[in-house]
Amino acid sequence: MKCLELADVYYRYEGSADYVLKGITASFESGKVYTIIGESGAGKSTLLSLISGLDVCTEGDVYYEGKSLRKLDRDDYRAKSVGVIFQGYNLLTNFTAVYNITLSMSISESEITDRQAKKEAAYALLDNMGVDRETADRKILYLSGGEQQRVGIARALSHNPDVIIADEPTGNLDAETEGAVLNIFTRLAHEDGKCVIIVTHSENVTAIADEVIGIRAGKLLSGTEYRASLPCHVSYPSQENLETKIKENEQ
Amino acid sequence: MKKYFYVIENALLNLSKNKGRNFLQGAMIFAVITTTVIALSIHNTSVTLISEYKAHFGSEVSISPERMPSNLPGITAEQALAFSQSEYLRDFEVSEPDDSSEAVDAVFYLKSPELLEAFAAEVRGKGLPDGYKVDIDRDAYARMVTPLEGLQDISFTFLLIVLALGAAIMVLLSVIAVRERKYEIGVLRAMGMKKRKLAMGLGVEIIAITCVCYLFGMIAGWLLSQPISDALLTGQQSAELMNAVAAQPLTSVKISVSPLTALEIFGVAILLASIAGIISVRQVTKYEPIKILMERN
Ligand SMILES: Nc1ncnc2c1ncn2[C@@H]1O[C@H](COP(=O)(O)OP(=O)(O)OP(=O)(O)O)[C@@H](O)[C@H]1O
Ligand SMILES: [Mg+2]
Repeated sequence: MKCLELADVYYRYEGSADYVLKGITASFESGKVYTIIGESGAGKSTLLSLISGLDVCTEGDVYYEGKSLRKLDRDDYRAKSVGVIFQGYNLLTNFTAVYNITLSMSISESEITDRQAKKEAAYALLDNMGVDRETADRKILYLSGGEQQRVGIARALSHNPDVIIADEPTGNLDAETEGAVLNIFTRLAHEDGKCVIIVTHSENVTAIADEVIGIRAGKLLSGTEYRASLPCHVSYPSQENLETKIKENEQ
Repeated sequence: MKKYFYVIENALLNLSKNKGRNFLQGAMIFAVITTTVIALSIHNTSVTLISEYKAHFGSEVSISPERMPSNLPGITAEQALAFSQSEYLRDFEVSEPDDSSEAVDAVFYLKSPELLEAFAAEVRGKGLPDGYKVDIDRDAYARMVTPLEGLQDISFTFLLIVLALGAAIMVLLSVIAVRERKYEIGVLRAMGMKKRKLAMGLGVEIIAITCVCYLFGMIAGWLLSQPISDALLTGQQSAELMNAVAAQPLTSVKISVSPLTALEIFGVAILLASIAGIISVRQVTKYEPIKILMERN
């Protein structure tokens, strides 16, 4: 099922003359993991900010379940439909990890209304991410980069959104935690039918993708340039590669 | 309502964070409230006293020769009695005549100070010859009322200055506070918190700070306004005036914080809170989350 669609999206930052995104058309389905790759400054984070309803495109449109984000209540969309894991975490640094999660649940008007139950759910989510209770009760200020990243992931998942958007979600994680987090992402897509979109530089992340989208200087890469930009082992969704992948699996 | 509960909870939690900033804002409100209590209670008390004194000294009329010393005799008991038959008076006092002359000391109490001219005209109509004046005791009047009027003026000017300064500082502090909290606001907006709820949260914070500071400010102002009033009154009474009147001058006014004053000051507190609130809300609605977060990254 089509979940998100980008229709000829152009974006230019206010006060800047150049377009950062130049005519991007793509669609994202529920139940799949997408990774977006590209050089630094290519416009990946900008693209995510449009998909997550933090901003609207200068020209073109982003559709969520067929409705233009221009017309949706984007606050509600952010609170309920998408979970965003930011490159810079964007947590409330003066508050505890667990409070960051319960606050997100409150904002999204989660069905868990009981305070204690909410807190327990938050602890459980953090525990899933390998953050124990003692750490969860500490202020974000006193957490390591990797711990903050995991809290960020837990927050994005806390309101059970349909779309999960992640900007470099494993940049600060060790191999073991990265594996665990990627497992969670895969499960969310394949078992719970979420649409997972991840921006990454990491080959481990592209490895779990159902589809890889390349972006360079604000445009989608296609065909040969796209393939050339990918790490060699990455499976991309073109027909010939699908065939080689099937062959590999059979061997 | 329950949907807003977390907004209030978050606001109150915020108060315990950022103690420095909240303390600064609180101290400012406290200072403004305290000085306002002082100024307003002095002002109100002097207004009350002035009207009381005006009513008292302004309605105490006597009839005497215009120029002193004079060879005109004082008015007679007969005259005094005739003059006292007046619509304008509420009371009068006439002393026993002297042995040597017919003259008496008469004091007429007007129903209100504005009736002085009407009474004077009436008295002349009844045959009071030229050369006599119908007037209140100007010396006593000046002695009591002038320093109070000075006090009233000073406290009013002071009040205006405090309010203008307080409002300006509140605007400044609010702008700084919201700037400082830009990131936090960006995060909350990115999480999907609506502007209206964010504004409400900021409002709750400001109201909470204001209420606490109102209480403390009232207490401090109440303790300070009496000594300050005494000092001001002493300054108001010029040496000339003290010499001119031998009688006991006014050295102290009992300052009180009436319920009306308390209410007025509560109005001031609300005004300050609203200024801070409106500024914050304006700032918040100006920001878009993406811009804030991008700046940070
Ligand atoms: N607020 C802004 N105003 C103007 N230009 C901006 C702003 N934010 C980003 N840019 C520019 O937009 C372009 C795309 O930025 P973006 O953050 O989307 O890149 P990215 O692909 O996420 O890079 P990275 O891999 O380093 O995170 C960059 O050239 C950047 O300089
Ligand atoms: Mg980026």
